[in-house]
Amino acid sequence: MFDKKVVRRRRAALAGFVALSIALLTAYFGESGGGLFHTLQRGAQEALAPVETGTSRALKPMRDLFGWVGDTLDAKDENGELREEVRRLRSDLAQAQTAQRDAAQLSGLVDLARDEGFPSGTRPVTARVIARAPTVWYSSVKIDKGSDDGVRVDQPVIASEGLAGKVTSVTGGTAEVRLITDASSAVTAQVMPEGASGVVKPQVGNPGDLLLDLIERGRRVTEGTTVVTSGFTSSRVESLFPRGIPIGRVVDVDLEEVELYQRVHIRPFADLRRIDIVQVLTRKGSTAEAASLPEVAIP
Amino acid sequence: MRPTPGAFIRMGLLLLFAVILQVSAFSQMGLAGGHVDVVVLAVAATAYFAGSIPGSAAGFAAGFLLDLATGATMGASSLVLTAVGYGVGRFREVRDPSHGLLPVLVTAAATAGWVVSFAIVSFMLDVGATVSALVIRDMVITVILNSLLALPVFAGIRRLLRPALTTDPLELRRRRRAPQATGPLGLRGLEI
Repeated sequence: MFDKKVVRRRRAALAGFVALSIALLTAYFGESGGGLFHTLQRGAQEALAPVETGTSRALKPMRDLFGWVGDTLDAKDENGELREEVRRLRSDLAQAQTAQRDAAQLSGLVDLARDEGFPSGTRPVTARVIARAPTVWYSSVKIDKGSDDGVRVDQPVIASEGLAGKVTSVTGGTAEVRLITDASSAVTAQVMPEGASGVVKPQVGNPGDLLLDLIERGRRVTEGTTVVTSGFTSSRVESLFPRGIPIGRVVDVDLEEVELYQRVHIRPFADLRRIDIVQVLTRKGSTAEAASLPEVAIP
Repeated sequence: MRPTPGAFIRMGLLLLFAVILQVSAFSQMGLAGGHVDVVVLAVAATAYFAGSIPGSAAGFAAGFLLDLATGATMGASSLVLTAVGYGVGRFREVRDPSHGLLPVLVTAAATAGWVVSFAIVSFMLDVGATVSALVIRDMVITVILNSLLALPVFAGIRRLLRPALTTDPLELRRRRRAPQATGPLGLRGLEI
């Protein structure tokens, strides 16, 4: 059986401590900042301060250990968050760099079209490269403009720095462009200002090096000079590439290989491995007029 | 627990030590938002070994010291810790459990009761700000950390309070084992 005295004592103790606590709460809330309990608190804090300081110093290594464990756990969470942020920022950076590259190329195209020597009578149609041939043997790209935009087969295509290639096939909304680095490409060109003429051909697998071939022996070609499309018009045929489109710069004259003709190495102005935006030089006037132009001529 | 001066001194020193440790060390040892709370551990252990009246007294005293040391609202911690001490003590008195891992469960329940009840009291008193849901995570972590520390802390406090206890809990467990090994045989009422 329960001892009633013990039960009463127990209940009385509980009630007493609870009542004391509530009385403390009430008194604490009721008094001002200078009241008994507030003063008691301040005194206790002052009295305990040295002990707390000593304890705090003594236990600092333990705190540091806990801190290290906590920091490690926090670092794992933070690591995950930072990885996510890095992924997002990489995406933003890629977008920004793409926009920057596009802007640079568009700016280059605008500057190129304003050059004095640039062929007049053309209407540039700006297009974006949407596909690229995967092998070095077929150096071609697909662009997002086609016959609906006035693009026709054999029209010249320029990139931001210079000649890129020519249109080889067209659909309503897209066009295939064979680059001047394609194995089958050949462009009549002229070294400026010397005036020596030749044919620019690619070196498969090395899009950074074109060969200007079939230059007459004895015509002076110096390094650093510019090579542009020569273009010509006769009563029967017309060059695909109008005169004056920059192609590249002479970097080397191959004297060892000189026989009847000289061979000159050219570095193309356009970085054809990394073009994103090009311009198709359509004829000025209506698209019907452009469509009636002769399809093929000598390069 | 015998209410001798020695018992009061032991309990008082224990609670003071727990409060100082808590304020100057454990409160600053955060682990994933939560931290060990040795004050409630000390109150629970005292109540577990000494009973409900010493438990509620220890709870009140510990709360009082804690509020004094931290400058918190006087009486709030006392109110909650009194209830915690009383509850743990009554559990011990009524159930008289003997399992060796019981301090872990007792600590978990006492800590959970302490953090939840204190949150409720704080809400009722003077918390006007928006409260983050992370408070719940911190509470759970505190309960887990305290549970992990329960066995060594209970063992230490038992050793400290043993001279003042009327019955040693370990002795009780030892005595209880004997009848199980050589107890009566036969049906109830017809034991040999």
